[in-house]
Amino acid sequence: MDIISQLQEQVNQIAGLTFNTFGTLQRDAPSVRLSQNYPEPPPNPTEDAATFSEQPKQMSAALVKAAKQFDALVAALPLSEGGEEAQLKKIAELEAENDAVGQELQRQLEAAERELKQVQELFSQTTDNCLNLKKPD
Amino acid sequence: MATATYPPPPPFYRLYKDYTENPESAPEPPPPIEGTYVCYGSNYTTDDVLPSLEEQGVRQLYPKGPNLDFKKELRSLNRELQLHILELADVLVERPSQYARRVEDISLIFKNLHHLLNSLRPHQARATLIHILELQIQRRKQAVEDIKRRREEAQKLLKEALGTLEGQ
Repeated sequence: MDIISQLQEQVNQIAGLTFNTFGTLQRDAPSVRLSQNYPEPPPNPTEDAATFSEQPKQMSAALVKAAKQFDALVAALPLSEGGEEAQLKKIAELEAENDAVGQELQRQLEAAERELKQVQELFSQTTDNCLNLKKPD
Repeated sequence: MATATYPPPPPFYRLYKDYTENPESAPEPPPPIEGTYVCYGSNYTTDDVLPSLEEQGVRQLYPKGPNLDFKKELRSLNRELQLHILELADVLVERPSQYARRVEDISLIFKNLHHLLNSLRPHQARATLIHILELQIQRRKQAVEDIKRRREEAQKLLKEALGTLEGQ
Protein backbone atom coordinates (compact mmCIF):
# COMPACT_ATOMS: atom_id res chain seq x y z
CA MET A 1 0.00 0.00 0.00
CA ASP A 2 1.41 3.43 -0.78
CA ILE A 3 2.76 5.53 2.06
CA ILE A 4 -0.07 8.06 2.16
CA SER A 5 -2.70 5.31 2.45
CA GLN A 6 -0.61 3.73 5.21
CA LEU A 7 -0.54 7.07 7.02
CA GLN A 8 -4.30 7.38 6.68
CA GLU A 9 -4.76 3.85 7.99
CA GLN A 10 -2.49 4.67 10.92
CA VAL A 11 -4.52 7.78 11.80
CA ASN A 12 -7.70 5.72 11.77
CA GLN A 13 -6.04 3.09 13.91
CA ILE A 14 -5.04 5.71 16.49
CA ALA A 15 -8.66 6.92 16.55
CA GLY A 16 -9.88 3.36 17.04
CA LEU A 17 -7.43 2.73 19.87
CA THR A 18 -8.48 6.00 21.54
CA PHE A 19 -12.16 5.26 21.67
CA ASN A 20 -11.61 1.62 22.53
CA THR A 21 -9.37 2.69 25.44
CA PHE A 22 -11.85 5.12 26.89
CA GLY A 23 -14.82 2.85 26.26
CA THR A 24 -13.23 -0.17 27.90
CA LEU A 25 -12.00 1.76 30.92
CA GLN A 26 -15.37 3.38 31.37
CA ARG A 27 -17.23 0.11 31.04
CA ASP A 28 -15.02 -1.95 33.32
CA ALA A 29 -14.15 0.62 36.00
CA PRO A 30 -14.99 -0.56 39.53
CA SER A 31 -17.51 1.52 41.47
CA VAL A 32 -16.16 4.29 43.65
CA ARG A 33 -17.75 6.06 46.60
CA LEU A 34 -18.74 9.62 45.52
CA SER A 35 -19.96 11.22 48.77
CA GLN A 36 -20.52 10.37 52.44
CA ASN A 37 -24.29 10.56 51.89
CA TYR A 38 -24.34 7.47 49.76
CA PRO A 39 -23.69 4.00 51.14
CA GLU A 40 -20.57 1.94 50.33
CA PRO A 41 -20.68 0.51 46.83
CA PRO A 42 -21.08 -3.27 46.53
CA PRO A 43 -17.75 -5.17 46.68
CA ASN A 44 -16.15 -5.88 43.31
CA PRO A 45 -15.52 -9.38 42.01
CA THR A 46 -11.86 -10.29 42.51
CA GLU A 47 -11.01 -11.30 38.95
CA ASP A 48 -11.80 -7.77 37.78
CA ALA A 49 -9.22 -6.17 40.07
CA ALA A 50 -6.35 -8.30 38.79
CA THR A 51 -6.88 -7.75 35.06
CA PHE A 52 -8.25 -4.25 35.47
CA SER A 53 -5.05 -2.63 36.68
CA GLU A 54 -3.20 -4.13 33.70
CA GLN A 55 -5.63 -2.80 31.11
CA PRO A 56 -4.76 0.93 31.22
CA LYS A 57 -1.07 0.10 30.98
CA GLN A 58 -1.52 -2.18 27.97
CA MET A 59 -3.89 0.14 26.17
CA SER A 60 -1.78 3.23 26.69
CA ALA A 61 1.27 1.27 25.53
CA ALA A 62 -0.63 0.37 22.36
CA LEU A 63 -1.59 4.02 21.83
CA VAL A 64 1.97 5.23 22.24
CA LYS A 65 3.22 2.49 19.90
CA ALA A 66 0.69 3.54 17.26
CA ALA A 67 1.77 7.16 17.61
CA LYS A 68 5.43 6.18 17.22
CA GLN A 69 4.53 4.14 14.14
CA PHE A 70 2.87 7.23 12.71
CA ASP A 71 6.01 9.25 13.30
CA ALA A 72 8.10 6.58 11.61
CA LEU A 73 5.81 6.63 8.58
CA VAL A 74 5.98 10.43 8.42
CA ALA A 75 9.77 10.23 8.45
CA ALA A 76 9.59 7.79 5.55
CA LEU A 77 7.60 10.18 3.33
CA PRO A 78 9.54 10.75 0.09
CA LEU A 79 8.68 14.43 -0.13
CA SER A 80 10.96 16.12 -2.62
CA GLU A 81 11.63 19.75 -1.76
CA GLY A 82 10.70 22.34 -4.35
CA GLY A 83 6.98 21.92 -4.41
CA GLU A 84 4.59 22.06 -7.28
CA GLU A 85 6.53 24.24 -9.74
CA ALA A 86 9.65 22.10 -9.59
CA GLN A 87 7.60 19.00 -10.27
CA LEU A 88 5.78 20.60 -13.18
CA LYS A 89 9.08 21.78 -14.64
CA LYS A 90 10.51 18.28 -14.36
CA ILE A 91 7.43 16.86 -16.05
CA ALA A 92 7.81 19.31 -18.96
CA GLU A 93 11.50 18.40 -19.35
CA LEU A 94 10.78 14.70 -19.26
CA GLU A 95 8.00 15.12 -21.80
CA ALA A 96 10.35 16.93 -24.20
CA GLU A 97 13.01 14.24 -23.76
CA ASN A 98 10.40 11.53 -24.27
CA ASP A 99 9.31 13.17 -27.52
CA ALA A 100 12.88 13.40 -28.79
CA VAL A 101 13.65 9.78 -27.93
CA GLY A 102 10.35 8.75 -29.47
CA GLN A 103 11.22 10.42 -32.76
CA GLU A 104 14.65 8.83 -32.77
CA LEU A 105 12.98 5.46 -32.22
CA GLN A 106 10.59 6.15 -35.07
CA ARG A 107 13.48 6.98 -37.42
CA GLN A 108 15.40 3.88 -36.48
CA LEU A 109 12.29 1.78 -36.92
CA GLU A 110 11.61 3.16 -40.40
CA ALA A 111 15.21 2.64 -41.49
CA ALA A 112 15.16 -0.92 -40.18
CA GLU A 113 11.92 -1.63 -42.02
CA ARG A 114 13.34 -0.26 -45.24
CA GLU A 115 16.40 -2.46 -44.90
CA LEU A 116 14.22 -5.44 -44.13
CA LYS A 117 12.23 -4.84 -47.29
CA GLN A 118 15.42 -4.61 -49.35
CA VAL A 119 16.81 -7.81 -47.89
CA GLN A 120 13.54 -9.61 -48.49
CA GLU A 121 13.47 -8.40 -52.09
CA LEU A 122 17.06 -9.51 -52.71
CA PHE A 123 16.44 -12.83 -51.04
CA SER A 124 13.43 -13.57 -53.23
CA GLN A 125 15.41 -12.66 -56.33
CA THR A 126 18.30 -14.89 -55.27
CA THR A 127 16.07 -17.83 -54.59
CA ASP A 128 14.33 -17.35 -57.90
CA ASN A 129 17.68 -17.33 -59.66
CA CYS A 130 18.81 -20.38 -57.80
CA LEU A 131 15.71 -22.32 -58.60
CA ASN A 132 15.69 -21.03 -62.22
CA LEU A 133 12.05 -20.02 -62.04
CA LYS A 134 12.45 -16.62 -63.69
CA LYS A 135 14.67 -15.46 -66.45
CA PRO A 136 17.53 -13.37 -65.05
CA ASP A 137 17.42 -9.74 -66.30
CA MET B 1 -41.87 9.80 -16.41
CA ALA B 2 -38.56 10.31 -14.65
CA THR B 3 -40.04 9.44 -11.27
CA ALA B 4 -41.78 6.16 -12.23
CA THR B 5 -40.61 3.02 -10.46
CA TYR B 6 -39.31 1.35 -13.63
CA PRO B 7 -39.00 4.23 -16.12
CA PRO B 8 -38.61 3.28 -19.75
CA PRO B 9 -35.26 4.00 -21.44
CA PRO B 10 -34.93 7.48 -22.96
CA PRO B 11 -36.59 7.70 -26.40
CA PHE B 12 -33.54 9.10 -28.20
CA TYR B 13 -32.92 5.88 -30.09
CA ARG B 14 -35.65 6.89 -32.59
CA LEU B 15 -33.47 9.72 -33.85
CA TYR B 16 -30.86 7.25 -35.08
CA LYS B 17 -33.20 5.25 -37.34
CA ASP B 18 -31.42 6.13 -40.58
CA TYR B 19 -27.88 6.25 -39.18
CA THR B 20 -26.56 3.50 -41.49
CA GLU B 21 -27.77 5.27 -44.64
CA ASN B 22 -27.03 8.84 -43.65
CA PRO B 23 -24.76 9.43 -40.65
CA GLU B 24 -25.53 13.15 -40.78
CA SER B 25 -29.24 12.75 -40.10
CA ALA B 26 -28.68 11.82 -36.45
CA PRO B 27 -27.79 14.46 -33.83
CA GLU B 28 -24.21 14.95 -32.65
CA PRO B 29 -23.29 13.66 -29.16
CA PRO B 30 -23.77 16.36 -26.51
CA PRO B 31 -20.67 18.41 -25.65
CA PRO B 32 -18.88 17.70 -22.33
CA ILE B 33 -20.42 19.45 -19.33
CA GLU B 34 -18.50 22.23 -17.70
CA GLY B 35 -19.02 23.67 -14.26
CA THR B 36 -21.67 22.23 -11.94
CA TYR B 37 -24.41 19.80 -12.92
CA VAL B 38 -27.37 18.22 -11.19
CA CYS B 39 -27.53 14.43 -10.93
CA TYR B 40 -30.40 12.64 -9.09
CA GLY B 41 -31.26 15.80 -7.25
CA SER B 42 -27.83 16.72 -5.90
CA ASN B 43 -25.22 19.06 -7.29
CA TYR B 44 -21.90 17.84 -8.55
CA THR B 45 -18.97 19.82 -9.81
CA THR B 46 -16.59 18.91 -12.61
CA ASP B 47 -13.71 20.69 -10.93
CA ASP B 48 -12.04 17.91 -8.91
CA VAL B 49 -10.21 19.85 -6.27
CA LEU B 50 -9.97 19.13 -2.54
CA PRO B 51 -12.21 21.68 -0.77
CA SER B 52 -10.31 23.63 1.84
CA LEU B 53 -11.13 23.16 5.49
CA GLU B 54 -12.81 26.55 5.81
CA GLU B 55 -15.32 25.54 3.14
CA GLN B 56 -16.28 22.57 5.26
CA GLY B 57 -16.58 24.74 8.37
CA VAL B 58 -13.57 23.24 10.14
CA ARG B 59 -10.86 25.35 11.78
CA GLN B 60 -7.44 24.86 10.20
CA LEU B 61 -4.78 24.20 12.83
CA TYR B 62 -1.68 24.15 10.65
CA PRO B 63 -0.36 27.34 8.98
CA LYS B 64 -1.35 28.03 5.39
CA GLY B 65 1.56 29.54 3.44
CA PRO B 66 2.76 28.51 -0.03
CA ASN B 67 5.40 25.95 0.97
CA LEU B 68 4.11 23.75 3.74
CA ASP B 69 6.55 21.50 5.58
CA PHE B 70 4.25 18.49 5.67
CA LYS B 71 6.43 16.29 7.83
CA LYS B 72 6.81 18.91 10.55
CA GLU B 73 3.10 19.73 10.56
CA LEU B 74 2.12 16.05 10.66
CA ARG B 75 4.46 15.42 13.58
CA SER B 76 3.24 18.44 15.55
CA LEU B 77 -0.39 17.45 14.94
CA ASN B 78 0.45 14.00 16.26
CA ARG B 79 1.92 15.53 19.44
CA GLU B 80 -1.18 17.71 19.88
CA LEU B 81 -3.36 14.64 19.49
CA GLN B 82 -1.52 12.73 22.19
CA LEU B 83 -1.74 15.73 24.55
CA HIS B 84 -5.46 16.07 23.97
CA ILE B 85 -6.04 12.38 24.66
CA LEU B 86 -4.25 12.77 27.98
CA GLU B 87 -6.31 15.86 28.73
CA LEU B 88 -9.49 13.92 28.01
CA ALA B 89 -8.40 11.19 30.42
CA ASP B 90 -7.74 13.83 33.11
CA VAL B 91 -11.07 15.58 32.52
CA LEU B 92 -12.93 12.29 32.80
CA VAL B 93 -11.39 11.73 36.21
CA GLU B 94 -11.74 15.25 37.62
CA ARG B 95 -14.69 16.93 35.90
CA PRO B 96 -16.54 14.28 33.91
CA SER B 97 -19.29 16.59 32.68
CA GLN B 98 -16.87 18.67 30.61
CA TYR B 99 -15.89 15.94 28.20
CA ALA B 100 -17.67 17.46 25.18
CA ARG B 101 -15.17 20.24 24.51
CA ARG B 102 -12.21 17.89 24.71
CA VAL B 103 -13.86 15.38 22.39
CA GLU B 104 -14.55 18.19 19.92
CA ASP B 105 -10.89 19.22 20.03
CA ILE B 106 -9.76 15.67 19.37
CA SER B 107 -12.08 15.31 16.39
CA LEU B 108 -10.86 18.68 15.07
CA ILE B 109 -7.28 17.41 15.17
CA PHE B 110 -8.28 14.24 13.35
CA LYS B 111 -10.02 16.24 10.63
CA ASN B 112 -6.93 18.40 10.18
CA LEU B 113 -4.72 15.31 9.98
CA HIS B 114 -6.85 13.75 7.28
CA HIS B 115 -7.09 16.97 5.32
CA LEU B 116 -3.32 17.36 5.40
CA LEU B 117 -2.85 13.81 4.14
CA ASN B 118 -5.40 14.35 1.37
CA SER B 119 -3.60 17.48 0.24
CA LEU B 120 -0.49 15.35 -0.31
CA ARG B 121 -2.27 13.34 -3.01
CA PRO B 122 -1.69 15.80 -5.93
CA HIS B 123 2.01 15.77 -5.09
CA GLN B 124 1.94 11.97 -5.17
CA ALA B 125 0.13 12.01 -8.52
CA ARG B 126 2.78 14.26 -10.05
CA ALA B 127 5.57 12.12 -8.63
CA THR B 128 3.93 9.02 -10.13
CA LEU B 129 3.74 10.76 -13.48
CA ILE B 130 7.43 11.66 -13.32
CA HIS B 131 8.28 8.06 -12.49
CA ILE B 132 6.20 6.70 -15.39
CA LEU B 133 7.81 9.16 -17.84
CA GLU B 134 11.29 8.16 -16.69
CA LEU B 135 10.48 4.48 -17.14
CA GLN B 136 9.09 5.13 -20.61
CA ILE B 137 12.17 7.10 -21.66
CA GLN B 138 14.39 4.31 -20.43
CA ARG B 139 12.39 1.68 -22.34
CA ARG B 140 12.49 3.74 -25.55
CA LYS B 141 16.25 4.26 -25.30
CA GLN B 142 16.68 0.53 -24.80
CA ALA B 143 14.57 -0.15 -27.88
CA VAL B 144 16.64 2.30 -29.95
CA GLU B 145 19.84 0.58 -28.85
CA ASP B 146 18.39 -2.84 -29.71
CA ILE B 147 17.33 -1.77 -33.18
CA LYS B 148 20.73 -0.18 -33.90
CA ARG B 149 22.51 -3.32 -32.79
CA ARG B 150 20.35 -5.58 -34.94
CA ARG B 151 20.80 -3.39 -37.99
CA GLU B 152 24.56 -3.46 -37.57
CA GLU B 153 24.49 -7.22 -37.20
CA ALA B 154 22.43 -7.53 -40.34
CA GLN B 155 24.84 -5.28 -42.26
CA LYS B 156 27.73 -7.36 -41.03
CA LEU B 157 26.08 -10.57 -42.17
CA LEU B 158 25.33 -9.15 -45.58
CA LYS B 159 28.93 -7.99 -45.98
CA GLU B 160 30.17 -11.42 -45.00
CA ALA B 161 27.81 -13.04 -47.48
CA LEU B 162 29.05 -10.67 -50.18
CA GLY B 163 32.63 -11.48 -49.32
CA THR B 164 31.88 -15.21 -49.47
CA LEU B 165 30.19 -14.87 -52.84
CA GLU B 166 33.01 -12.80 -54.31
CA GLY B 167 35.58 -15.19 -52.97
CA GLN B 168 34.09 -18.02 -54.99
